Amino acid sequence: MSSSLIEVQREEFSILDSWLKAREFIVVGKSVRRVDSLEKVLGRARYVEDYLVEGMTYARIVKSSVPHGLIESISPGEASSHPDFIDLITAEDVPGQNQVGYYISDQPALAEGKVRFHGEPVALVVARKPESAELLRSMVEVRVKPLPAVFDPLEAMKDQVIIHEEVGSNVVIKTHIGKGDAEKALEESDYVVENEYRMGYQDHAYIEPEGVLAIPKDGEYTVIAPAQYPHLAQLISARVLGVPQSKVRVIQPMIGGAFGGKDDMGPILAAQAVVAAHKTGKPVLLTYSREDSFTSHCKRDPAIIYYKSGASKEGRLTAVQVRIIFDAGAYANRGPFTLWRATAHASGPYEVPNVDSRGFLVYTNKVYQGSFRGFGNPQVQFAAERQMDELAEKLGIDPLEFRLMNILKPGSRTCTNQLLDHSVGIGEALRRVAEASGWREKRRRYGRIENGKARGIGVACAWHGISTSRGVPDWCNAYINVAKDGSVSVYTGIVEFGQGSHTGILQIVSEALGIPVEKINLIGGTSDAPDTGATHGSRGLSFGGTAALIAATKIRKAVQRVAARSFGCSPDDVELRDGWVYCRRDPEKRMRWEEAVKACYLQGEEMSATGYFFMPKERFDEKKGQGQAYVVFSYMAIITEVEVDVETGLTRVLKVWPALCAGRIINPELAKGQVDGAILQGLGYMLLEEIKVEDGRILNPAFTDYLVPTIMDLPEIMDPIYVEDYFKYGPMGAKGLAEMALIPMAPAIGNAIKHAVGVSPREVPYPAEKLYMDLRRVRGG
Amino acid sequence: MSMLEYRRFSSLEDALRFLSERPDAKIVAGGTDLVVQMRMGKLKPSTVADIRGIMELRGIRESDEGLEIGALTTIEEIRESSLVERLAPPLWEAAQEFATWQIRNMGTIGGNLCNASPAADTAPPLMVLGARVRTARLGGGRTIPIEEFFRGPGETILEKGELLTHVHIPRPGDSEGHAFQRLGRRVAHILSIVSAAAAVGVEDGRIGWVRVALGSVAPTPVRARTVERELTGKTPSRDLIKSASEKVLNDIKPISDVRASAEYRRAMSVVLVRRVLEKALRRAGA
Repeated sequence: MSSSLIEVQREEFSILDSWLKAREFIVVGKSVRRVDSLEKVLGRARYVEDYLVEGMTYARIVKSSVPHGLIESISPGEASSHPDFIDLITAEDVPGQNQVGYYISDQPALAEGKVRFHGEPVALVVARKPESAELLRSMVEVRVKPLPAVFDPLEAMKDQVIIHEEVGSNVVIKTHIGKGDAEKALEESDYVVENEYRMGYQDHAYIEPEGVLAIPKDGEYTVIAPAQYPHLAQLISARVLGVPQSKVRVIQPMIGGAFGGKDDMGPILAAQAVVAAHKTGKPVLLTYSREDSFTSHCKRDPAIIYYKSGASKEGRLTAVQVRIIFDAGAYANRGPFTLWRATAHASGPYEVPNVDSRGFLVYTNKVYQGSFRGFGNPQVQFAAERQMDELAEKLGIDPLEFRLMNILKPGSRTCTNQLLDHSVGIGEALRRVAEASGWREKRRRYGRIENGKARGIGVACAWHGISTSRGVPDWCNAYINVAKDGSVSVYTGIVEFGQGSHTGILQIVSEALGIPVEKINLIGGTSDAPDTGATHGSRGLSFGGTAALIAATKIRKAVQRVAARSFGCSPDDVELRDGWVYCRRDPEKRMRWEEAVKACYLQGEEMSATGYFFMPKERFDEKKGQGQAYVVFSYMAIITEVEVDVETGLTRVLKVWPALCAGRIINPELAKGQVDGAILQGLGYMLLEEIKVEDGRILNPAFTDYLVPTIMDLPEIMDPIYVEDYFKYGPMGAKGLAEMALIPMAPAIGNAIKHAVGVSPREVPYPAEKLYMDLRRVRGG
Repeated sequence: MSMLEYRRFSSLEDALRFLSERPDAKIVAGGTDLVVQMRMGKLKPSTVADIRGIMELRGIRESDEGLEIGALTTIEEIRESSLVERLAPPLWEAAQEFATWQIRNMGTIGGNLCNASPAADTAPPLMVLGARVRTARLGGGRTIPIEEFFRGPGETILEKGELLTHVHIPRPGDSEGHAFQRLGRRVAHILSIVSAAAAVGVEDGRIGWVRVALGSVAPTPVRARTVERELTGKTPSRDLIKSASEKVLNDIKPISDVRASAEYRRAMSVVLVRRVLEKALRRAGA
């Protein structure tokens, strides 16, 4: 960390430190009711489709029905004679740059020259009525000259078909981290396990598919966008329009789920919609149908992972060697970052002296990957955690015991040689979850077939770096304004999409100012707020909360100064609580919060503040693949109990014991909601959710055959065990948690299946039919 | 641009007259199949005749010979009916796990049969119950065994202008046992990969007669006659049921699709037939 940063942020560090040491909290740590619940229950919450604007028009995407080809022509055909037809928007209509690529500039808002996947948006049809838009898009004539296409990433790596001429190879990014000499260490290891793992797509399947409303007015644009980073949607909209970023204003509507998908799709749809709004001069509501969402929105990266790991006969991990191939689909999008995350988490949360982890991001002519809860990590933790069980079996050690022998603890060095100096609670989490689940006894008792059914119990761990990786600059911010009557407005760029971050941020501000949550209004997810970074990487409450805490504490200090003068005591002795400002040593000396605010206004104390905080990061040496990968990690341990129907291959997850190390828990009920939801989504990833692709075309773009878990699949989920391993730069020590429980779910189920019936799942998803076929092979017949 | 003509009927006679004049009209009741197929572009009817308002085709009643169910009776009504539970147990069992509450409230038994999906969950139970269906057309109608009703995926024996009006289920005897089971890829709200129903009549400790039917494993719901032959007249035993169940492979022709491979469907047919036979025999007191 540079010394100038320490100097510049001296006040911020001291604020965070003082809250970290606080012993008692009034609002934080309580299950405060989420602030948006009432309007949702009453049906008053406004989602993007609920915004009705004068003169609104409706747009739908026109999609490629060819996986790879050259666009010859796009014309409205018969659509143009329909009375509801307004316009057809193509790449030619983009006034600025036709570019929405996240990191690599390889992706157009609307296809230009070429199409690269079946379902790629090539045009927008704009109509006066939504139902006409649906009809009209089927009339648009798109002529494409097909090119040879490639769907298998291993095939694509041969570069016989090039998908992006401008990149030159289908291998778009290579990643590497490591230390020691893995090759040599594996040769010298007493036990070695080597396997290949494969994972498929997972669709976010949020209840609300994508949509954006763009409203043009006098060269300025208001964009109602369910986007996870309003300032990114603003930036990309401005880029395609060729206008300054400040001419675009992004507002978040209520959002029906995001899970990372709207981190990508928010800006992409915003770009598409603003181009249509610009050309037609009318407000345009662009919506994707559920089928569009399946065929044309990003998904969890399919992966092939080769994993070789070794251990000594004493039970210590010696080395891991990992090769990760991520199928990017047609565009790089988030792939460079999901792949890097996978590469840097490949060891699992263990001490491994020799590591060689390499990744390859490969283009194919299929729908592209994107952000999704876990962000590249569920794939690699599946491989790592299945390996741990197989190694333990070879060693003849209990798999949970084997994990404990190698688990990361404060003072450990990670696979990138990063020193973990604090906030590493995973060992305790693992011990406590083992005890709660009756691990030892069930491990002995299960694994036998009775009446055609067998039970098993499995464990898996995960670690997950919070927010952005390496030296990628990371900051957060918030703006707080206290009105003369004492009511408070908080502006944050953090977006609420169901996870409860806004409620958590309100609790933090409420705590710092000693006033009830009801007195505070939060304006979030808008480009009107300071750029707070994206709501991803489990950073919404952990980093967004840090900024809010700093801003609120600055105001708290102003109030303390003014009150101290009035009470004749030291500012440090002034307490703010329950709407009162009083002297701790002499509580008779007190005033209402409102009076204190009024006094601040009269005595020259500023009643607004920003909470900018630039995350201190240490160096990461890309060449060596060593250094600080993430500022902090959250950890998770999960034990699952399953029952397998041996005759049909159907697996039921009966019970789940979660243990989470996410620092301070700001709101236990909201935390539990995230854990429960992630568990169910992880269960779907392992057992149900499968995108079937044939020649690049998705065969099951509907919920009829893309199966997400229903409430009937819900296992009994125990109350999470929280190991509160405080993080020094988090608000009151909080770390991220929303992604955590999903990450180890697939391997925890896989390990339980192995325990139950002896087959070793190496694929995700692993539905009944696959288990049945593997079982038949193992048992013969 | 295509326009859709939508007509609504509350009298059977009006509907039949209209259908005789407009034989290409698609009939809609609950719409849970038709609307989905139209949305997917698989069907593009120019005329739709909504018969849901014809009250005489709705309801469950006990008749002399057993049970009469109007074609427009919803699956949810069947699911909640104690009459059906008593007089047509496997149909009642099928209704319990049928789709979702919302779909059960809209979907009708007539629609489930006339849509003629090989996966129609009401078909195997009706086949093992020996049900007959009654149809109506202008100036006539007929009654035929349910097994003769299906001709292929989406195809029935119904002719243009002909409507399915009722399902008749004979009263089960005292020493009969029934069972229905389905296998889906998740616990609920899912199309079956295989479904199976069995009915068995036990006479003097022997299997006097037996009917087994399956869904989703052939172009239509099918009877497993080879299995039935293997069992009829014999004393039930675990081994007999096991070996007879394996014979189901002679009666089915499953395909591979996004839901399952033919191989898995074959294996699961054997498992499900065995399970429903065991259950039905147990219920018959054998």
